[in-house]
Amino acid sequence: MTQEPTQTQAAAAAPTGAEPAARAWLLTQWMAGVFAVLLAAGMALSYADARQNDPLKSPQLAELKQKLLDKPADEQLKQAIRSLDLQVRQHYFVHVWRMRTGVWMLLGAAAVFGIAGAWSGDARKRPPRRRPEAELRLEATLTARRSRWSVAACGAGIGAGLFAAGLAFEPTVPARAPEAGQAPGAVAATAAPANDWATAEEIRQNWPRFRGPDGGAVSPLTNVPTSWDVKTGAGMAWKVPALIGGFNSTITWGDKVFFSGGDAAKREVFCLDAKTGGTLWRQAVANVPGAPAKPAEVPDTTGYAASTMASDGRRVYVFFANGDLAALTFDGKFVWSKCLGPLKNAYGHAASLATWRDRLILQLDQADSEDGKSKLYAFDGRTGQVVWQTPRKVGSSWASPIVIEAAGKPQIITLAVPWVIAYSAVDGAELWRVEGLSGEITPSPVFAGGLVLAVSPSEKLMAIRPDGQGDVTKTHVAWTLEENVPDVTSPVGNGELVFGLTSSGLLTCLDAKDGKKVWEHDFEMDCHTSPTIAGGHVYLFGEKGLAVVVEAARQFKELSRTEMGDSFHASPAFAQDRLFLRGVTNIFCIGTTNR
Amino acid sequence: MSPSSIECGTRNAGGGLASPVRAAGHARLASRLPRAVLLVLLLCFAALAALAEPKFPPPDFSETSHQIPATTVPGARAIFLQYLDVGVLAAALGMATWLVLGKRSRRWVLVLSIFSVAYFGFYRKGCVCSIGSLQNVALALGNGGYALPVGVLAFFALPLVFALFAGRVFCAGVCPHGALQDLVLLKPVKVPTWLESGLNVLPFAYLGLGVLFAATGSSFIICQYDPFIPIFRMSGRALMVLSGVGFLGLGLFVGRPFCRFLCPYGALLKIAGSVAKWGVEITPDDCSKCRLCEEVCPYGAVRQPEYGQPGPEALRQDRRRLAWLAVLLPVLAVAGGWLGGRFSHTAALVHPTVSLAERYAREGDKPPKAGAPADEILALERARQNPKGLEAEAAAIRDRFRMGGRLFGAWVGLVIGVKLFSLSMRRQRVEFEADRGACLACARCIDFCPHEVKRRRVNRSPAPARGTLQVT
Repeated sequence: MTQEPTQTQAAAAAPTGAEPAARAWLLTQWMAGVFAVLLAAGMALSYADARQNDPLKSPQLAELKQKLLDKPADEQLKQAIRSLDLQVRQHYFVHVWRMRTGVWMLLGAAAVFGIAGAWSGDARKRPPRRRPEAELRLEATLTARRSRWSVAACGAGIGAGLFAAGLAFEPTVPARAPEAGQAPGAVAATAAPANDWATAEEIRQNWPRFRGPDGGAVSPLTNVPTSWDVKTGAGMAWKVPALIGGFNSTITWGDKVFFSGGDAAKREVFCLDAKTGGTLWRQAVANVPGAPAKPAEVPDTTGYAASTMASDGRRVYVFFANGDLAALTFDGKFVWSKCLGPLKNAYGHAASLATWRDRLILQLDQADSEDGKSKLYAFDGRTGQVVWQTPRKVGSSWASPIVIEAAGKPQIITLAVPWVIAYSAVDGAELWRVEGLSGEITPSPVFAGGLVLAVSPSEKLMAIRPDGQGDVTKTHVAWTLEENVPDVTSPVGNGELVFGLTSSGLLTCLDAKDGKKVWEHDFEMDCHTSPTIAGGHVYLFGEKGLAVVVEAARQFKELSRTEMGDSFHASPAFAQDRLFLRGVTNIFCIGTTNR
Repeated sequence: MSPSSIECGTRNAGGGLASPVRAAGHARLASRLPRAVLLVLLLCFAALAALAEPKFPPPDFSETSHQIPATTVPGARAIFLQYLDVGVLAAALGMATWLVLGKRSRRWVLVLSIFSVAYFGFYRKGCVCSIGSLQNVALALGNGGYALPVGVLAFFALPLVFALFAGRVFCAGVCPHGALQDLVLLKPVKVPTWLESGLNVLPFAYLGLGVLFAATGSSFIICQYDPFIPIFRMSGRALMVLSGVGFLGLGLFVGRPFCRFLCPYGALLKIAGSVAKWGVEITPDDCSKCRLCEEVCPYGAVRQPEYGQPGPEALRQDRRRLAWLAVLLPVLAVAGGWLGGRFSHTAALVHPTVSLAERYAREGDKPPKAGAPADEILALERARQNPKGLEAEAAAIRDRFRMGGRLFGAWVGLVIGVKLFSLSMRRQRVEFEADRGACLACARCIDFCPHEVKRRRVNRSPAPARGTLQVT
């Protein structure tokens, strides 16, 4: 049955006021639309203008900056760059303001446009036609049936989606309670390899690299000898011939002492018994894959074995100036070897190796900075594969890198003219850099009292806070010392005091906080061996064989002087309450023998 | 306009359901289409302009005295302001209840919508919102160590409590998401009822998914993929900004597409609203079945009356169908549970710990690529420090996911079963009524009811309709 219209409907749908209202809303809608279009056009123009005058790509600014590279001290040029920089920034921020304001206005106009459109439509709304009940009943039945199918289809779609997603991935790490049919040992089969590196405590108990655990030349030992007599043997464990030439220092791991040596004809690794000095094994590093038949010539003043070995507690690593790099077990068996040579270094490669976890860190700075040959490498200690390598735009350098934990990150600190650069040990990404090095960089950096100490030979000693990012030259240099600056040897610091030694034997004690000089003493001896702190004492070894021990304190106090009867270039290693030192002709072990 | 034109529908020559009115509607739609397209383009342009803002580097010169400010994280909103938000929410809900059930005014609901979009949307940046708060509640239920803020709990509970008594007044004009969509609705196009029924399942599935990820501490996906938050904040990931604009563009023609076919909180409100004590009453008098309310409701929430009694054969068919569905209901729940269990393998990857453990198991022994600093590499490095611990933690999370996945699947199966059951039931309606579960309480139908219009003209003051909440 079709229902007839009622008086109420007629009354409700009467046109009183409806049409004028609809027209008013329509007019409003048009006005809002025109306004929005004009506004959008203006914004588009502003956007195009900003794209064209991108402050980041301003050719004038780029040109001026290029000129500044040629004339870095030109103040007028700097001022011009500043003015132009300010100008493009102002232009940019005006654009940003325009766009932000425009977006709000555009949204407002769109809202008015939409509301007016909807209400103008509402004002014209009319009731639909009447329809027979039978037709409506049939339609309802059909709709219900279609709806059920629609729900079923939607459910099937969701189910198929869940099933497909479930098939898309098979977990390697299962839930605690494995499902039927799943091998319980699946986790073990795919489990990650165990940590293959020494713990921090293991490293602390040994001397696994040049200048100790973190390259800081500070031993945690407290019971090390301060006096001994080489002639009588009092206070000495043993002294054995050095067997081979080389300027590298000894390292220790457990009861083993390692060093390397060699010349153009032969290069070897030696392992001594730390208790007796007896040779446990010697291994020639030869026939290295990729090595040229004849090694590149290296000046005798540096030699083929100036680079000190390193150990990660699982293997020992050696690098020679001809580019041969090798990993050996503690029993002297090769794990892997490769040649990175020939190296382009006028004085020969001298930077020592470092490790981080199971990675071998090698700073291989060569040639001039323009040659692009310098790189920092991280090798997988187990396989020798390059984990990462980071190019360095620097020339040859001879300082050894150190690996420190600072600002929550493992950082590799490197020195080369003109930069102190810190890299992430994880991925080799540069973290921060400080400009200020010049000359031939030989002293290695150290990390003491929360500061990285970097030496520009005979010029200045910089103390840097290692928590920056980018170029922090202007912001993170805590203090600088320009007096009595070391030239060959590396500084040492115990957190409170810093000691620097010049090659003429002038020892200077500084306050680690501000770099102020506390005292200085001239020993008037040639020194190539870097000072080392152990048991609260500073150990110095002169090139002519004089060993001096002084207190690492605010007051100068000399504790002992000993003639060693040898010549020294290498730095000492401290382990097991003893001191291991390589001379030109002998290897010394100073300390008691009853360990 | 003559009375005859009110009921202007006449059968077409073919005897089908098409009518000159519909044809005229199509013509109107065609005439308005350019304007609608223009509006969509404006919205897109606004969004692109928001995206176009580039980052500007600091000055090159470091010897100036300029100190580059350190990056900071915005502080939490002050406690008293959080309580103020709860107070505003409660007041807005009360106001919406009165406007819809007492004053019965579409216009004032619209004003409230504008306020909600401005306050809860643009001023409060859409957070905390009731939609996202259900994840906080799920996380608190799944993780005893998580302290649920009182303000968040209030945002979750208040709209539900109001819905139990007054229907979905929250959706009417308090929820900024819904209000924004309501404001842009230009030319509503009816979604076929059968399609709407199918799509109505999606919010319940999304609700289950959101609860699964939140309760397992994996991710707040409802917030992460909220299409309107980038609009309220005027910034966001490009995909989400465009999805927000896309929903608004769709919302020009389809009434509140997000609320009806995706909003997980809407699913909860639908359940609460369907058992509400009071709800929107379309007419203050006897229904004249003019169908204007059905016509103007853009959300397909007005239900027709039953036309006549079904025959014995139809009743028999109905009973048989219901019996089958009663059997099917547990089957659907079990099947859903099984599928959910399978799905949990993949779903668990959303949890960062499980994802890291999987990556570590596959790539942990491989060296990272040279010189590429990335968070993934750093994460793998962290994993290497304690791989066994990571593996155990990931296994425990997977365990929770498996149980959660089964519950999620069972929930979806139950929803489908209940929905099928519901579509097979006959209602005893004698006039056009708003479906209390589906009705978003926008009050459009009230404004268009001829009886209401007449009553307003006669009285010039609104009076409560039959059976509605007596608010004065």
